[in-house]
Amino acid sequence: MLTQFGATAESLSKASTMVFRIGTDAHLYDDPDDVSIVPLLDSKFESEKCEALKRLLALIAQGFDVSNYFPQVCSENVATQSLEVKKLVYLYLLHYAEKRPNEALLSINYFQKDLGDPNPLVRAWALRTMAGIRLHAIASLVLVAVGKCARDPSVYVRKCAAIALPKLHDLRLEEHTAAIEEIVGMLLKDNSPGVVGAAASAFASICPNNFSLIGRNYKRLCEILPDVEEWGQIVLIGILLRYAIAKHGLVRESLMLSFDDLEIQSLEKDDPESSHLTVKRPFDGSSFDIYTEIADIVARSYLEGPDKYLARLGHVNQDSLGLDGSCITSATSNDDVKILLQCTSPLLWSYNSAVVLAAAGVHWIMAPKEDIRKIVKPLLFLLRSSGSSKYVVLCNIQVFAKAMPSLFSPYYEDFFISSSDSYRTKTLKLEILSTIATKTSISSIFLEFQDHVRDPDRRFAADTVAAIGLCAQKLPDVANTCLEALLYLALSESSNNAVALMGEEEILLVQVVKSIMAIIKQDPHSHERVIVHLVRSLDSMSAPAARAMVIWMLGEYCNIGDLTSKMIPTIFKYLAQRFHSESVETKLQIVNACVKVLLRAEVEDMSELRLAISYVLELAKCDSNYDVRDRARVLKNFLSHCKGFNYLEEADNLTEFNDLTYVFAEYIFGGTKKVPSESFSYRFYLPGSLSLIVLHAAPGYEPLPEPCSFADDETSHSPTNVHNDHESNDIDDSDDISGSLDEENTSDYSSGSVSGEGGDSYIASDSGEDEEAGTLIHLSDDATDSRDHDRVSVKNTSSGLMDAGELMSKRALESWLNENSGSGQNSSNLSHVQRSLARISIKDIGQLVKPKSYTLLDPTNGNGLSVLYRFSSEVSKVSKELACIHVSFSNHSEGHMCNIFLAEEKPNPSPDSSEKSGSPSESVLVSLDKEATLIPMEEIDRLNPGQTADRVLQVRFEHHLLPLKLVLSCDGRKQQVKLRPDIGYFIKPLPMDIESFLKKESQLPGMFENIRRCTFSEHLNQQNDKDEPPQKDIFLMICEKLALKMLSNANLHLVSVDMPIAANLDDLSGISLRLSGEILNNSVPCLVTLTLKGTCAEPLEVSVKMNCEESVFGLNLLNRIVNFLAEPTR
Amino acid sequence: MLQCIFLLSDSGEVLLEKQLTGHRVDRAICDWFWDQILTQGESLKLVPVIASPTHYLFQVVREGITFLACTQVEMPPLMAIEFLCRVADVLSNYLDGLNEDVIKDNFVIVYELLDEMIDNGFPLTTEPNILREMIAPPNIVSKVLSVVTGSTSNVSNTLPGATASCVPWRKTDLKHATNEVYVDLVEEMDATINSFVLPGFSVFLSLFLHYSGQLCSGSPVCIDGHPKQLANVFYLYSLSCSDLSPLLILLLLRDGNLVKCEIYGEVEVNSNLSGLPDLTLSFANPLIFNDVRFHPCVRLRPWEANQILSFVPPDGQFTLMSYRVKKLKSTPIYVKPQFTSDSGTCRVSVLVGIRNDPGKSIDNIAVQFKLPPCVKSSDLSSNYGSVNVLADKTCSWTIGRMPKDKAPSMSGTLVLESGMDRLHVFPTFKVGFRIMGVALSGLKIDKLDLKNPLSRPHKGFRALTKGGEFEVRS
Repeated sequence: MLTQFGATAESLSKASTMVFRIGTDAHLYDDPDDVSIVPLLDSKFESEKCEALKRLLALIAQGFDVSNYFPQVCSENVATQSLEVKKLVYLYLLHYAEKRPNEALLSINYFQKDLGDPNPLVRAWALRTMAGIRLHAIASLVLVAVGKCARDPSVYVRKCAAIALPKLHDLRLEEHTAAIEEIVGMLLKDNSPGVVGAAASAFASICPNNFSLIGRNYKRLCEILPDVEEWGQIVLIGILLRYAIAKHGLVRESLMLSFDDLEIQSLEKDDPESSHLTVKRPFDGSSFDIYTEIADIVARSYLEGPDKYLARLGHVNQDSLGLDGSCITSATSNDDVKILLQCTSPLLWSYNSAVVLAAAGVHWIMAPKEDIRKIVKPLLFLLRSSGSSKYVVLCNIQVFAKAMPSLFSPYYEDFFISSSDSYRTKTLKLEILSTIATKTSISSIFLEFQDHVRDPDRRFAADTVAAIGLCAQKLPDVANTCLEALLYLALSESSNNAVALMGEEEILLVQVVKSIMAIIKQDPHSHERVIVHLVRSLDSMSAPAARAMVIWMLGEYCNIGDLTSKMIPTIFKYLAQRFHSESVETKLQIVNACVKVLLRAEVEDMSELRLAISYVLELAKCDSNYDVRDRARVLKNFLSHCKGFNYLEEADNLTEFNDLTYVFAEYIFGGTKKVPSESFSYRFYLPGSLSLIVLHAAPGYEPLPEPCSFADDETSHSPTNVHNDHESNDIDDSDDISGSLDEENTSDYSSGSVSGEGGDSYIASDSGEDEEAGTLIHLSDDATDSRDHDRVSVKNTSSGLMDAGELMSKRALESWLNENSGSGQNSSNLSHVQRSLARISIKDIGQLVKPKSYTLLDPTNGNGLSVLYRFSSEVSKVSKELACIHVSFSNHSEGHMCNIFLAEEKPNPSPDSSEKSGSPSESVLVSLDKEATLIPMEEIDRLNPGQTADRVLQVRFEHHLLPLKLVLSCDGRKQQVKLRPDIGYFIKPLPMDIESFLKKESQLPGMFENIRRCTFSEHLNQQNDKDEPPQKDIFLMICEKLALKMLSNANLHLVSVDMPIAANLDDLSGISLRLSGEILNNSVPCLVTLTLKGTCAEPLEVSVKMNCEESVFGLNLLNRIVNFLAEPTR
Repeated sequence: MLQCIFLLSDSGEVLLEKQLTGHRVDRAICDWFWDQILTQGESLKLVPVIASPTHYLFQVVREGITFLACTQVEMPPLMAIEFLCRVADVLSNYLDGLNEDVIKDNFVIVYELLDEMIDNGFPLTTEPNILREMIAPPNIVSKVLSVVTGSTSNVSNTLPGATASCVPWRKTDLKHATNEVYVDLVEEMDATINSFVLPGFSVFLSLFLHYSGQLCSGSPVCIDGHPKQLANVFYLYSLSCSDLSPLLILLLLRDGNLVKCEIYGEVEVNSNLSGLPDLTLSFANPLIFNDVRFHPCVRLRPWEANQILSFVPPDGQFTLMSYRVKKLKSTPIYVKPQFTSDSGTCRVSVLVGIRNDPGKSIDNIAVQFKLPPCVKSSDLSSNYGSVNVLADKTCSWTIGRMPKDKAPSMSGTLVLESGMDRLHVFPTFKVGFRIMGVALSGLKIDKLDLKNPLSRPHKGFRALTKGGEFEVRS
């Protein structure tokens, strides 16, 4: 049954690839740009849009940069209702958002709209995409959105909110950290396990050490753990483990403290098998298990990170973990630890290998030693999952096995190598096998090893040989057997080599000799026979490394028995014969061996040996290789006074110097040195971590927290309170201000509004300022002010003004403080700041303001009628939502024109609308509700050639980007025109003084505040144009220029212009302009602060700060400001 | 967290890239990766975690497609690997297999799937049933429709209800006309068998003989012979030399052939049940399990207490549990390879036969091995089935169903490289087979109960055993 099905499925899939490729998107992938994409994008049909987006996606997939389509995609398609188009747009948008931040911002409004959609899927997508755009400018908006979605009724949306938090955190917004962490805390408390899992991942990447968030619901998190979805489980397990250690410390019975345990109780060895492995501990003399020492290193590495630990190892004496009793807890008595172990143990049966490994890690670190056993079987079962995870699991098991071989030793069969394993897996298995081998299992393991020695992969065979050597060193009982097997291998391999010289074969032989050498080192006296055999087969060995090692052994062990001493003269004769054809490596060893033999050999026939050796040394002295020559010379010197070598030396008086050389020679080549005990320089990283696999600390790796480093304080305040206060204040204040609004003529920007409202810190201007044409500088500092009123002197004093800080009035300091606290700086050190401010007032700027005018219709298109419009700073008297626009009509044609009229575009314009609209009558006012977007203007009856007529249009724009489509009728002809909105005129000036400005500003911190930077270079043109007007101060000129630019492009009120007194001659840094306005339709104030940086001669860096409760509006306005500041005035 | 996922074809072409976080990963990393593959050979393809100069790479290779994920920070590597495996599973499930063409043809769906599966480098929705509800798999009907009408949407308009329920793997309101549930036991046998003449064994013996020959001044004996012969030789040696290590005795006494034999099994359930069914499955002999692993839907408490599986199944096909039964005593078939070398040529003969009749017919038998690198040419033929030697020296012998009347055998000669006298490395034979209707582990399902039956469902059980990592060393 299965076969048949399999067969049909196969043929079906074949058929489908053949035939049904037509119906797929194949053609889109193959030729994504064979049609023009732009018209498709602009198409009315969803299917065509879809196709265009698919083509873009195909181009992205193939690595092309298609970000130039960004504006089209964003402007036209974000607003779509089709979910498929939405999805595709989002995919595209996220790919390029960072590259095109400005255009991406345009789409924010749609996302905000989508966030209110009844369909949770739409809400979730909107949130994911919005957060994925990752722009600093909208971070606060996203934060609000995330906060909202974190309370969403849909689990899926809440989950997406949790995942969105790390995206925000990535932007590194210090001022939002508290708010982000608060949302994390809230989501961790969520009822749905799905949300908790995602929240855990957010926690881990945002604030992994904020344990108070975990402490509050630790028990609940443990209980919910089995229901959390697998990916969340992985992260949550790690968090809970870290918390438990930080809160309660290590577990007394666990492996982590086994070393201390031993020290305290001088525990009896319970494992007789490895009792021979106990070695003397060098510094306190107590007997201890080598594995316990490794376990100790593991524990230290986990706690400190291996790099730190190993670095310390060099100079600080090892001591116990340094934990006092208070940092130790018990798994049996501590409920928190108990519940953690209980809740993670079923996860050892999970389908997800990462979950199993994470759970095993918890048990490894926290469980009592006898309970660790339960992680073994699940871990071994993981080896059957997929090839990729197998390798990672083995890396972890390797560490476990090193510290606690008894865990795995009964299961050695699971590490038997299968031919389908990758090379790395094989070597890992070999290493584990040699670690866990015991007396009982070694025979089976060896049987396996013998098979591997014959493996076609010689590299692997060599590794096997190395593993055999390790086993033999570990278990001296089998050393003999191993040695014999290895020896046979060496002999047969060397004979094989003679037949087929393959580079690969050498590896094996060298490794065999190396392993033999290692085994012999442990107990040279009982292995004399082996050395003899090896030396005898020297002739057939061709690998230089192997030969060198055999010769080393010969020299090192030349005096251990009769057989060797009998052989030595012959051997050296042989070596002398072959010397010229040896490789450098071998030559060096031969020379060494000569010295050793002469120093210790008890050979009967010394003369023969002496001859051979001196011949060798002479040969070496004339060798072509520097190293060999040098060594031969040095050693010959050494030897000049050795016994039996004296005859070479003419002078036989033994000077002290010669004595010394003899001592040196003895010291270097003489005494049988003890093999230094193996130093453990393993790098242990936490189980399941990436660092463990790559064997270096990956960025972001953190060792376990310091035990008991976290003291739970229930009184930790939540940062929300602060926030709420601000919000409530804001509401109050905005009410106040909107209430005090009046219909004043705001186009008058006389300086009176600034200087007249000066606070008590202002010094009344004296006679000097009147001479200054329209400008003056108020120093907000009594002392400096009284000293001098001249600008120049301000500059002079500013350079040496050390006492300005003391002299600075309280008022100015306060205002300054407020300003800075608003921008999120650390206010603690502000009291020490020694700066002073001067206030510049710019007079009569209102007259200089010239709003930019735009063309509605140019004469070529309009049969000679040209229509220009500019936004007016007037405020409509009809409704506060309407913006006033001055429209000027001028006739450039020969004949006159009649009945010129602008009206809203309607599908069927009613015939009488034009009559009605003759004057703004009562009916129009009445009908003015949400629908009305235009208060019709007065009709121009007749326009003579060359004549110009001005009209005022009152318009309500739907959106700050959507142009208003109007119909211009002239002489009965109708023509469509587009009136483009300017967000700078969606506001009206809000007159206020500097105090209320600063107060307001301080109430709008954090998410209501946005800063962007741009460069302002217009003042440079000015300077170049008219060679520095001498009577005008350059500071003033620039401030004026900037203020003018602001006021000509946005309907704002200039509150104040401040400059720091401590400013340098040319340095404009610190000058700040404050402007205020309120949004037309809801009277929400917008505060703009421009701060300059740079010098007069260079383009200025202007940072524009926007404080506005309507974040979206504020942001859009901010962008507009930045744009017009950067663009030159025509 | 993961920063980027690339899909690479088997020629190193980047089929797709999906950036996951703000830390953009340049495509150049794929070039670096492929260069490494080219220089270090295919063995690198098997390394799941690679540290490149700029990123850590995780790779999973599935049917020629490389799934490559990048990160720069610490994260659980198994999480990445497991996730990539999950992506590969879902894709091959959606697209009916994986290959370069099928991914190119359906790249939009791949993108949409990836977007649902992972957000900001953290897995979002990986449950295949839920994904199917969110993004419709391409099927023939939709393809035809798209050709005819020119537009279809494969993106669902609503959020699957399951995402909100307490049983996130199951739709809330399922209706099936036929209520049925099928349980399949699919077992794979992993075994390592040393063929009768152990080469390793001979190493040891010849070593001793060699040795004794040296020491007792006897002549070394050639020992490519029969075990009985060896035993005799060994006996002689034991007379000459008294200090036999216990290890060697063990070597001789060891029964030997079966190094390892175990079953890896999966309980696969295909459930088409309406409503929210609550099932319990019990086994007649649950104690034979050595290791177990469960689908998330299984409640762990009943298992801990009574070894009963209690669960609310997902809809459709899924793997309920997987298990391992170790230390099996016999294999259903045997494979006996024999190599005899003689002056530059090597005679091969491989015999296949039934050892313990499982009671059902064995089919899909295939033997595969790789000729040692020192073999210059080969001439192999069989009396049943077909033998095929590929360019990379892989030799596969397809037998199919085991014939009743004769034992299949393959024989032939190998010509060694000049200078080689005899073969000293031997290949490992991989054996595949299939037995329908038998679970070789001996596992028996006791009963399957439905707690809240709307109507009595139709229940069915099947069993199947395949060859897993079944290896015979020569």
